[in-house]
Amino acid sequence: MAHNDPVLDLPFDVHPDPTEFLRAALRWHFSPATGSPFWLDRARELDFDPVEDITSFDDLTRFPNLANALREVPARDLVPRGYGASPGIVGIYDSGGTTGAPKRVALLNDWTDRMLDWSSAQLDRHGVPTGLNWLQVVPSGPHMVGETFTRQTIRRGGLPFTVDVDPRWVKRLIAEGRSAEAGAYTDHLVDQLAHPLESQDIGALLLTPPVLERLARREDLVALVRKKVKAIMWVGTQMDADTRHLYRTEVFPDTVMVSGFGNTMLLGHTCERPGLADGEPCVYDPFSPYMSFGVVDADTKRTVEYGERGRLVMHHVSKSMFLPNNLERDYGTRIRPLPGQVGDSVADISPVKVFEDEVVIEGVY
Amino acid sequence: MHGELIDLPALGPSGPYRAYNRRVVPDVTGAPFAELSMAPRLFVDRALAALRSAPAMPLPARVAALTEASRVFLHDNVSGMSFEDYAGAVSRVSGVPVSVVRRAGAEIANAAVKAESSAYGARPVGAAADWRDTATLAGRGVWTRRGEVFAVHAAGNHPAPHALWLEALALGYRVAVRPSRREPFTPYRLVSALRAAGFGDDRVVLLPTDHGGADVILAGADLGLVYGGDEVVAKYAGDTTVRTQGPGRSKILVTASADWRDHLDLIVDSVAAHAGVACLNTTTVLVQGDPGPLAAAIAERLAALPSLPPQDDRAVLPVTTAEAAEALERYLRAQAGEGKAWLGGAGIVDELGDGSAVLRPSVYQLDAAPRGGRGVELPFPCVWVAPWSPADGLAPLRETLVLTVLTDDESLVDRLLVEPSISNVYLGDHPTHWLEPGVPHDGYLGEFLMRGKTVIRG
Repeated sequence: MAHNDPVLDLPFDVHPDPTEFLRAALRWHFSPATGSPFWLDRARELDFDPVEDITSFDDLTRFPNLANALREVPARDLVPRGYGASPGIVGIYDSGGTTGAPKRVALLNDWTDRMLDWSSAQLDRHGVPTGLNWLQVVPSGPHMVGETFTRQTIRRGGLPFTVDVDPRWVKRLIAEGRSAEAGAYTDHLVDQLAHPLESQDIGALLLTPPVLERLARREDLVALVRKKVKAIMWVGTQMDADTRHLYRTEVFPDTVMVSGFGNTMLLGHTCERPGLADGEPCVYDPFSPYMSFGVVDADTKRTVEYGERGRLVMHHVSKSMFLPNNLERDYGTRIRPLPGQVGDSVADISPVKVFEDEVVIEGVY
Repeated sequence: MHGELIDLPALGPSGPYRAYNRRVVPDVTGAPFAELSMAPRLFVDRALAALRSAPAMPLPARVAALTEASRVFLHDNVSGMSFEDYAGAVSRVSGVPVSVVRRAGAEIANAAVKAESSAYGARPVGAAADWRDTATLAGRGVWTRRGEVFAVHAAGNHPAPHALWLEALALGYRVAVRPSRREPFTPYRLVSALRAAGFGDDRVVLLPTDHGGADVILAGADLGLVYGGDEVVAKYAGDTTVRTQGPGRSKILVTASADWRDHLDLIVDSVAAHAGVACLNTTTVLVQGDPGPLAAAIAERLAALPSLPPQDDRAVLPVTTAEAAEALERYLRAQAGEGKAWLGGAGIVDELGDGSAVLRPSVYQLDAAPRGGRGVELPFPCVWVAPWSPADGLAPLRETLVLTVLTDDESLVDRLLVEPSISNVYLGDHPTHWLEPGVPHDGYLGEFLMRGKTVIRG
């Protein structure tokens, strides 16, 4: 049996038939010669045959949630045997790690190249020039984002400048109510990015909305960004429509502003849909069929209607890795997908279910 | 009734700001009434930066603008609303009777005219108002701003608290007001009037925000004023840049040297004026002797107050959504414990049939005064009547914004006046809600906004 089906090795801009692709991937991951020890092990515990019984992307929800297994499994066991002795490892990376121990995944070269080709084409569509030097204020290891964007910048002919971020520390400060310290940490990041921004030919910024907001408080840095920076990409958390509008119209009117959404369990990132109108939420279309989204009711696990919020379900299917049916902690709004896309698109991804508040308290105010 | 919602933009440094993110301001029936644009944090940052870079106007110009703002507030159309439209809108969203809103509006206008004298009334007698004063030739204190930008987290219970921050403008501060979502109309009108009167768009702004933005306003300003309950007071207790206006817990004390029967009008008025929604309304009445007859007499008088919708000229009681009213009723019941209900024991909710409900008065008799002076304060005429004896001392009188004392005992008055947790002491027939521009409400605001600096020259 030739499990190394060419449909698993297509360039990013050749779109396989989703079902044909899925079945080829399942044959690869669940054949003793090519599959990973992790999946071959797990296959024995499944009450279905993944190769015979999984015939569509909808069926991926039959797989159990892998989250716990991915916290403990030896990382080497995640790599498909079909890659041989030199699989071309980019790195071993952690999920956020906000809920207990982090989940761990292996990132391989072939997938990373394909994902970055696709993502780079997305940047082209947003009008982000190639050849820019990027200043990246995002985490290095154990998170994936630093490495993937460094590679992306180099592929696009630029130099990567970095300021490291420890998101777990920030989350901990916020969880403990130490918001002033979290703010001070953010200012510490802004202080660090100031130097390369001043001294180097920086053409693009990659950062989080809180860092951008603190940067925008400093007139000297705003002036530098206006002078040098052609594109700003923000990642990590969402930015509301009003804030985006202010940046685009008042603060950085001549700069391309584009957001990205990345997730360890997707093994990559995607940019917002190009051409969204001002005021629309940032919609994210996944790199289908390799990445796909579902949006489900937190209790019933049923798919919610378009425009409604629910918890995100993510699937990653590639030759390098098979990570189906990962129920995220985050919520998002379900959005109609692009033609031919597997699963849904999503918008307004955040850890909260709803945005409203208000309670009755004692007193006259 | 309203074809479309009233549009309330933020008022930023470049003019009105309409956001995508808007919050509905409901009326007392729960129906949408207005739509308030919420300023994102980035907008707040930029607005505060604009305030900071706008130079303070000279004092005479500030005084002139405050006086003109008073006129605009009372007499002009502001964003298409007359003063009467404004009062009606406030009554519909806050449930405060329209006659109370009109009076509060007049108080705000009066406070604007008197803002300079009120603010500078706090100046220490040893300090000059200006370094050019000849007194500084020999060395003298000069009363000076502690900062440039002042932030206010406004209250929504009653319009009158907005009179206070006008003093900051009189002192030369640039001011950012975060309105209460419950009643944004008063600050909207007042900020609009001030801008039209000469302060311009970059010296006073209105920044409606969610909770996250609220902290950004305070953090970005030099000094701030925050209204709220005990939690808010505790949150900012260690912050020397924030002054809190906490629960009022105003009280009346009737000692043996006075007969409450001679002061029943005063007591009832203190409880029920302003529909009982103000921090200046009496929450607890302490009487030397049997509290029963007094509680009965208060109950009889308050029972006669009519239930009417807030926009009715004759309305005197507050109105809220039936749902919120029921929540308050449950809370009251739970807090009342063993107290004897003279009024409101069977409930305080009087539904008007349109989704809203009048909050009827409640009068409870307690065997002992609430511990530490911390009686339960609720936003309607709600009074606790308890016995007091000289042996109880000051403990039950603590934590009080205004204490009206009916007594001959001057040594008691001496002690009450130096008690740190009592903010104001009124002697004799003065209702706890008495307040005029120029007297300190909870200390002079100027004590917080200004400091003395020595200047010597020549």
